[in-house]
Amino acid sequence: MHRVASAGNTGGSTRPRKEKRLTYVLNSADGEKHCAGINCLAISKQASEGDDYLFTGSRDGTLKKWELNKNSATCSATFESHVDWVNDLVFSGDNVLVSCSSDTTLKVWNCFSEGTCTRTLRQHSDYVTCLAMAEKNSNILASAGLGGDVFIWDIEAAVAVAPNSSDPTEENASNGITSSANPLAVGSLRTISSSSSISTHFNQSSGYAPTAAKGHKESVYALAMNDIGTLLVSGGTEKVVRVWDPRSGLKSMKLKGHTDNIRALLLDSTGRFCLSGSSDSMIRLWDLGQQRCIHSYAVHTDSVWSLASTPTFSHVYSGGRDMSLYLTDLATRESLLLCTEEYPILQVALQDDSIWIATTDSSVHRWPAEGRNPQKALQRGDSFLAGNLSFSRARASLEGSSLVPLYKEPEFTVPGSPAIIQHEILNDRRHVLTKDSVGSVKLWEITRGIVVEDYGKIPFDEKKEELFEMVSVPSWFTVDSKLGSLSVHLDTPQCFSAEMYRIDLHISGKPEDDKVNLARETLKGLLAHWLTKRRLRLSSQSSSANGDLSVKDFTARSLIHSRIEVDGSADNDSTVYLPFQFSTVSPPSIITEGSQGGPWRKKITDLDGTEDEKDIPWWCIDCVLSNRLPPRENTKCSFYLHPSEGSTVQILTQGKLSAPRILKIHKVVSYVLEKTVLDKPLDNIGSEVPLGGPLQHSAIGDGSTRSGLKQIPKFKPSIEILCNNQALPLDMSLATVRAYVWKKPEDLILNYRVIQSK
Amino acid sequence: MGTNASQLEKEIGLEFPPNERFFGLANFGNTCYSNSVLQALYFCKPFREKVLEYKAKNKRPKETLLSCLADLFYTIATQKKKVGSIAPKKFIARLRKEKEEFDNYLQQDAHEFLNFLINRINEIIIAERQAHLQKQKPNAENVNDSKSQEPTWVHEIFQGILTSETRCLNCEMVSSKDEDFLDLQVDIDQNTSITHCLRCFSNMEMLCGDNKFKCDNCCSYQEAQKRMRVKKLPVILALHLKRFKYMEQFNRHIKVSHRVVFPLELRLFNTSDDAVNPDRLYDLVAVVIHCGSGPNRGHYISIVKSHGFWLLFDDDMVDKIDASAIEDFYGLTSNVQKSSETGYILFYQSKDCN
Repeated sequence: MHRVASAGNTGGSTRPRKEKRLTYVLNSADGEKHCAGINCLAISKQASEGDDYLFTGSRDGTLKKWELNKNSATCSATFESHVDWVNDLVFSGDNVLVSCSSDTTLKVWNCFSEGTCTRTLRQHSDYVTCLAMAEKNSNILASAGLGGDVFIWDIEAAVAVAPNSSDPTEENASNGITSSANPLAVGSLRTISSSSSISTHFNQSSGYAPTAAKGHKESVYALAMNDIGTLLVSGGTEKVVRVWDPRSGLKSMKLKGHTDNIRALLLDSTGRFCLSGSSDSMIRLWDLGQQRCIHSYAVHTDSVWSLASTPTFSHVYSGGRDMSLYLTDLATRESLLLCTEEYPILQVALQDDSIWIATTDSSVHRWPAEGRNPQKALQRGDSFLAGNLSFSRARASLEGSSLVPLYKEPEFTVPGSPAIIQHEILNDRRHVLTKDSVGSVKLWEITRGIVVEDYGKIPFDEKKEELFEMVSVPSWFTVDSKLGSLSVHLDTPQCFSAEMYRIDLHISGKPEDDKVNLARETLKGLLAHWLTKRRLRLSSQSSSANGDLSVKDFTARSLIHSRIEVDGSADNDSTVYLPFQFSTVSPPSIITEGSQGGPWRKKITDLDGTEDEKDIPWWCIDCVLSNRLPPRENTKCSFYLHPSEGSTVQILTQGKLSAPRILKIHKVVSYVLEKTVLDKPLDNIGSEVPLGGPLQHSAIGDGSTRSGLKQIPKFKPSIEILCNNQALPLDMSLATVRAYVWKKPEDLILNYRVIQSK
Repeated sequence: MGTNASQLEKEIGLEFPPNERFFGLANFGNTCYSNSVLQALYFCKPFREKVLEYKAKNKRPKETLLSCLADLFYTIATQKKKVGSIAPKKFIARLRKEKEEFDNYLQQDAHEFLNFLINRINEIIIAERQAHLQKQKPNAENVNDSKSQEPTWVHEIFQGILTSETRCLNCEMVSSKDEDFLDLQVDIDQNTSITHCLRCFSNMEMLCGDNKFKCDNCCSYQEAQKRMRVKKLPVILALHLKRFKYMEQFNRHIKVSHRVVFPLELRLFNTSDDAVNPDRLYDLVAVVIHCGSGPNRGHYISIVKSHGFWLLFDDDMVDKIDASAIEDFYGLTSNVQKSSETGYILFYQSKDCN
């Protein structure tokens, strides 16, 4: 990297020297709904009855606030900032929400905003899997994750060191802890206008550091804290429950018994009893005073992933991989199957007499649960006595004693939209075929971010084969469906490897064989809103020092990147062509990372124009603002043009020719025709024609033959181009011929011959 | 042919098995890596039979490594004398021609040689089979498909299947993938047994940190547990003890002389739940032993079991040894001595193939 200009924040970072990536997420048409599994949910109880809110955190990377009325739930805010799965969420006090994510961060939100992230806490080195909050001391929060990290935070203090910006897109630089290896570098960050949002950076030489609870050798998958924040329990792949004093971060004991990963933990309000749910399918009740397991309940037939208890800790609701929700009386060991979901249960939350269930599906269900009087349910249902041996339930269910759930239908559903679970990039590298969790197969045009074809529920592989096209286009992007929707990743310089002719994109008003770089046009489309707002800002602030600064910035960089070629063939216009116009109704979100502050995510329409190279990779800015593309691999294709056997026509070139990879065969036909019909000797017989040399200029890939091209069918005699004795279609590109007809690493050899017209 | 040979005959005396020959192989300058492996293979009965069968079927073959091996085995098997030594001249010459790495007088790794030999023989069989099919049906285009994909006798003897089972720790789905093996390479620990080494071989490995598992069900990278277990047990199980460890501080491979007990009878415990033949019981039939202090120095010998007694082949020398002497090749309990005589490749033959 050549970021000489920003001598600030690279200190302390050991990240490999790879350019930052730009990802855009094609949001589902229904932005109100989650479009991937729900990892976590919680009910925010309001003072006035009936005004409760449901908060959900999803694998789609967002959190949502749902306004609950009697029998409806309205999405009243979407919290978008995490760049990976949201794994857990808790409340801190009445209006602060804290979430954690596989993006390794914790985020602090204002519950009742439109989605304001007030703080990003970067401390974990791997996925953050779980959070725990002390209910009566709600400043105290614990977070834990993969790799064994456990931290205890004073949320008020952690937020206090950062500014309370009111901007909804607040994304601060690391809070000084991650960069602690080089505090000086962090301290010397320049401070720019605090009105600019993403780019706000603060001098945090006195950063906040959470208490680390050190001791886990392996990953942590579950946490719980008692009411007053004096006891913390954690569990994970080490199969033991560890007990900590969260005030000091010191271990106090270790409880052994489970034989597999521990996935769920609960503490009673006094901190005396602990419940654990494990992948060994068991629920265990521990007496922390005696430091031993006093009960084990074999209720589930598979892993236990979530637990919720009644306020008195007399009964536990449990859900897990077997998609079943059980209610168990901890004292009598009486157990009951309350309901079954269609997907594995990830988290449950009690609300009075109901229970909310989050599963790997994108919708959330509310079921009756008799939370205030669980005994009532046990009496009504078909209860059984929980065994205490692992798999005793599994055995029982194998023996045919299948249970009938007490409730058949949920009371209420917060619908989600189905997640994309399978995808295939088509050969034209502009379309992606997807299949979602309900089996619908759709065709996406990724340069516009829209579904162009909905095939309904048909076999994915058959459609894939049907859509196969013999076309070779360099792979200029990659795709994943981790967030339940398509995420398209652009990496420099590979992303700039694909070009198309304007005519093939139906862009009018320009020479039709002008070449269009797909990544550049896509970036222009993605950053159109940013660009517009930025222009407005700059023009209104052109006299202010701030505006000058960023202009200077870019000039300085232009000099630094002088080695980068300016693509001369295309003019630097910011018009977004139709095939690259993204929807503004369900705009895609950008996930990226600039030189400072870590990755962030925002809808393209929410970009406010203040984002600069600290927030957006320099190569994207270069491309969009100055039309500078990084040096790429050769986009030309070399080939030889020989008469086919027995052909009477001879043209006067045997040398190696060179043309854009996307050049169509009809251009080669035109070239042959010109050389024969005009019978014009060429100077460069037998010599290799240089790129962009006279040959290419006069005959191949240029507008001068355009008039002739449209009359191809009328040519007499007609010329046919062959490769490996196979006649080539006129609209096939050289790259496609090479990949599907020639199939050899050597230079392509094309043959031509005359076909007599009928 | 030294005095040693006739002594051996006397020693064995009346017990001398009919139709069996014990012939040493002359050393052409550090070719003990080859001699030791060839002797071990010669006494892997199923393998010897197939090689001799090949010799019988192919009267005038094109010279290949396999034809040279077949000639060598045939020469040994048809000797008039019962004991003695011969020079595997043609085989070594061919070997040096076939692989550059062996075309010198340096000491080579016996396991590398075994690996090369087995794979090359397999390739030769497949190539000859294809040529044969083409001769029969010159126009058939799909000769590559069905017939040539059938397992060769090398596969039938040495090939087993390992299955790697990966459990995503997020969704807890188990996905498994099978892969073929011709030998198992196991890490060794001090004062342990083969059973222990095989258990370690199948230990759960955690895929985490930067090495997460891409779970198809979760559409994302997640932590996972992975383990390798044996799904199909081969007729002859070749176990390679990884005794040459690369030590960064010395910038070279160092011999690990740890004492690892190998039993005369072996049953595998690291088999998968869906294993084809998990109860297969094995007999130890041959051991290639490395003597010395490092991979590129020292000497290779082999001990083999034939008709109930044990023989030691040291190039052209052959000795009868007591079964109790095998203990001497387990390794050293302390690392004081630099040099050791240790079992390096173990050949276990399934009891049910006799």
